[in-house]
Amino acid sequence: MSQSRLNLLLCLLVLALFLASMLIGPARLGPLDSLRALVAGGDEATMIIMREIRLPRAILALAVGFGLGLCGAVLQGFLRNPLAEPGIIGVSAAASFGAVLVFYSGLAGAAFYALPAGALAGAALSVVILLAIAARHGSTLTLILSGVALTSLAGALTSLVLNLSPNPFASYEIIFWLLGSVKDRSMNDVWIALPLMLAGWALLVFSGRALDAFSLGEEAAAGLGVDMRRTRLLVIAGVALSVGAGTAVTGAIGFVGLVVPHLVRPLTDRMPGSLLLPSGLGGAALLLAADIAVRIIVPGKELNVGVVTALIGAPFFLWLIVRSRREIF
Amino acid sequence: MAGGGRAHLFSPAGRRWPRSGRTRERHPAFRNRFAALATLALLALPAHAGEAPARVMSLNVCTDQLAMLLAKPGQLVSVSELAGDPSLSFLHEKAAAYPRNAGTAEEVFLARPDAVVTGTFSLHNTTALLRRLGFRVEEFSFEQTLDTIPREIRRMGGILGAGDRAEEIASRFETELKNVEASLCGPSPTAIAYDQNGIALGSGTLADSVMRAAGLRNLAAELGYAGMAPFPLELLVVHRPDIVILREPLTEAPALADQITRHPALRALKTSHVGAYVPPGSWACGAPAVLDAVRALRAVREEAAPCGKAPSG
Amino acid sequence: MSLVAERVSVELAGRRIVEDASFSLARGEVVGLLGPNGAGKSTLMRAIAGHLPHSGSASLDGADLATLSALERARLVAHLPQARVIAWPLSVRNVVGLGRMPWRSFARGFSENDRAICAEAMELMDVGDLADRPATELSGGEQARVLIARAVAQDTPVLIADEPASGLDPAHQMTMMAALRRLATKDRAILVSLHDLTLAARWCDRVVLMRDGRIAADGPPAAILTPECLQSVFGIVAHIDHDRGGMILAPTGLTGDTPP
Repeated sequence: MSQSRLNLLLCLLVLALFLASMLIGPARLGPLDSLRALVAGGDEATMIIMREIRLPRAILALAVGFGLGLCGAVLQGFLRNPLAEPGIIGVSAAASFGAVLVFYSGLAGAAFYALPAGALAGAALSVVILLAIAARHGSTLTLILSGVALTSLAGALTSLVLNLSPNPFASYEIIFWLLGSVKDRSMNDVWIALPLMLAGWALLVFSGRALDAFSLGEEAAAGLGVDMRRTRLLVIAGVALSVGAGTAVTGAIGFVGLVVPHLVRPLTDRMPGSLLLPSGLGGAALLLAADIAVRIIVPGKELNVGVVTALIGAPFFLWLIVRSRREIF
Repeated sequence: MAGGGRAHLFSPAGRRWPRSGRTRERHPAFRNRFAALATLALLALPAHAGEAPARVMSLNVCTDQLAMLLAKPGQLVSVSELAGDPSLSFLHEKAAAYPRNAGTAEEVFLARPDAVVTGTFSLHNTTALLRRLGFRVEEFSFEQTLDTIPREIRRMGGILGAGDRAEEIASRFETELKNVEASLCGPSPTAIAYDQNGIALGSGTLADSVMRAAGLRNLAAELGYAGMAPFPLELLVVHRPDIVILREPLTEAPALADQITRHPALRALKTSHVGAYVPPGSWACGAPAVLDAVRALRAVREEAAPCGKAPSG
Repeated sequence: MSLVAERVSVELAGRRIVEDASFSLARGEVVGLLGPNGAGKSTLMRAIAGHLPHSGSASLDGADLATLSALERARLVAHLPQARVIAWPLSVRNVVGLGRMPWRSFARGFSENDRAICAEAMELMDVGDLADRPATELSGGEQARVLIARAVAQDTPVLIADEPASGLDPAHQMTMMAALRRLATKDRAILVSLHDLTLAARWCDRVVLMRDGRIAADGPPAAILTPECLQSVFGIVAHIDHDRGGMILAPTGLTGDTPP
């Protein structure tokens, strides 16, 4: 399949799922009425539901999914490692911790961008640590073990902050921060996260060419004219922006970045650079679908969307490990 | 006050049976339980019934409310930690005068009260353990409505030996409630009590009976939601209740749970009255303070649908 | 005169790996870089290719390579690292195509010229038939040829290849050296590190010998690869012979008695 045709098909899939996401909800609205209310206004209740409740939810699922898929493809390409993914290597957990620290200390109320800034800092710090440990001489095993350590540490610190909060609701909110959800988010969350995510995507797409060269190793890439420092900065900043901003408003959603690149890679020429856009689109489609699933599976008692992505992703992760066991050990 | 509590823990009653020689056990819970059993084997059980208990301990924020109202000076040994929380305890200022307990059997054992009052759905293990140890434990069910409150007041009065005062408070409560209900007029506006995390207070809750007493229809109950139940924001928007009763944040410390009460969709409901109308803590427990909640909602109701006019929406 | 390295020294983690290495590499010349393991061959090559900070200078036609940007350098010097990495099941065509990266602007496809250069490089390394195969499924020797075809496709005046012949069968070793010679005739300068002494002696115009980070000897193979030199640099005894094509060096034993 040609690259542009693949991207077109994925775009159509994302569009269909976006529409489905806009049309599914506890308030049983007619599809035509709701779309009319979304675009042109009309009945007050329908308009509020479409514009203030379902639209932010669908946009966030699309954008966070796109970011996770894109980051998965970038990290796999950059680290030449099929198991790299923001969730598995601890970036999402660190972003969650950064957001939690800022939010529950009350700093988030002080400035509009304090919350994503905290998550960005957490994500960036974790990427820097991972690159320091695993990028140079990194075997897959080193990377995964570093990720396990970072995830556990960030998770423990997150629990600590939540438990120390005087607000009795705080300790229950660990589920949100560790498993993620786009339920009942508002356009405020979209405005906080989306501009930063867009900036992150731009940086990552810009790194695509360098990632192609990374297929032959860092040294060969440098010999092909790739500016190593610039590429590393692009990847760190891009991943931190995409994952950090997304996690700040939806919590950590795992496995999207792992599964999607593997699903779309066989449909491409397998160059890391040409995998970026399809992975982003695939991630958007997966998260939109997962978020539709949580609304349908147990209506009235919604699951966290991270539960569904983990149910899909974790067995896939195991299968990947089994398949590449020889390479890892 | 805290000093008083500490002094009490080291009162002669607590020191009478030193645990020396047994303290080498590694596990503190086991150690304490063992010590407690050993002590009980030697002690006569505390006397039951008859005269009013001299020293009473309350382990639940709702029994705290009634006990603080009815206990004689010095009778109430300690109240629960939550008694000081303004969002849950209407009498939190009064609670400042009492030592607090965390509701553990160990504290009860050390304080050796003559009676323990607590709720049925909290601290089940503690209650069972205390009963096994021979303590008198009085449980109060808090699946209650406005109608059950006078009965609970009288029961607490009976336990504390303050029957007359309880009767006085209970009958005043009944009278005031009757007065409020007598002043009801016209068709009732719809309302929803929408708490943190989008939890609605449905049928069977104290809030439901308060809303009805204030002349409101509880939307959640009418849609079949019982107890405290997650209520989709979309449905709230679709049904557009005349009054949305939010709950103030429990503390200044932020939590995501509060975000839904600030969701733009709620603010966009033009025809609805949205706000935290009920005084903090007033309808958290079945106690006389619930009347404050009834009165507050009456006032909002009057605003949303003045008597003599049909309610909007 | 083309590539000139002057007093190049490299320090890694506080250890001097290359010390005061000076040599030159002219266009049209194939120079073999020889020396035992750990002598500093790879480090010197990486320093010249601009991948390692170093003192001294490496310049091409008078321009100091260290002051150029990575991209400018990539248009002058192609470097084939010793480690053969192909991370994804890329087709051979795509791997070789990566060599065109320094010449293509952002998001621009391959031009006819790019395609022609890649095809030529694949022919040169005898991998044209494999063009559509995933490179990861090829044998080690085939992968080595694909990767050097990638370096050739970079179409630079200088090619630095680190042990390109290791793992190749004898026929392909010779095919590869012949290819490098052919490239040299197209006015390119080629520096190639080798372990096979005969291969170096017969196919290189000149050999540079390294020992303990320093350049021990530099000159035509026949003048450098003497029994004395083999003994002092490699610690071996070799049977040296000649035929019509040049020297034959067959290591036969170790020199020096290891003290008890």
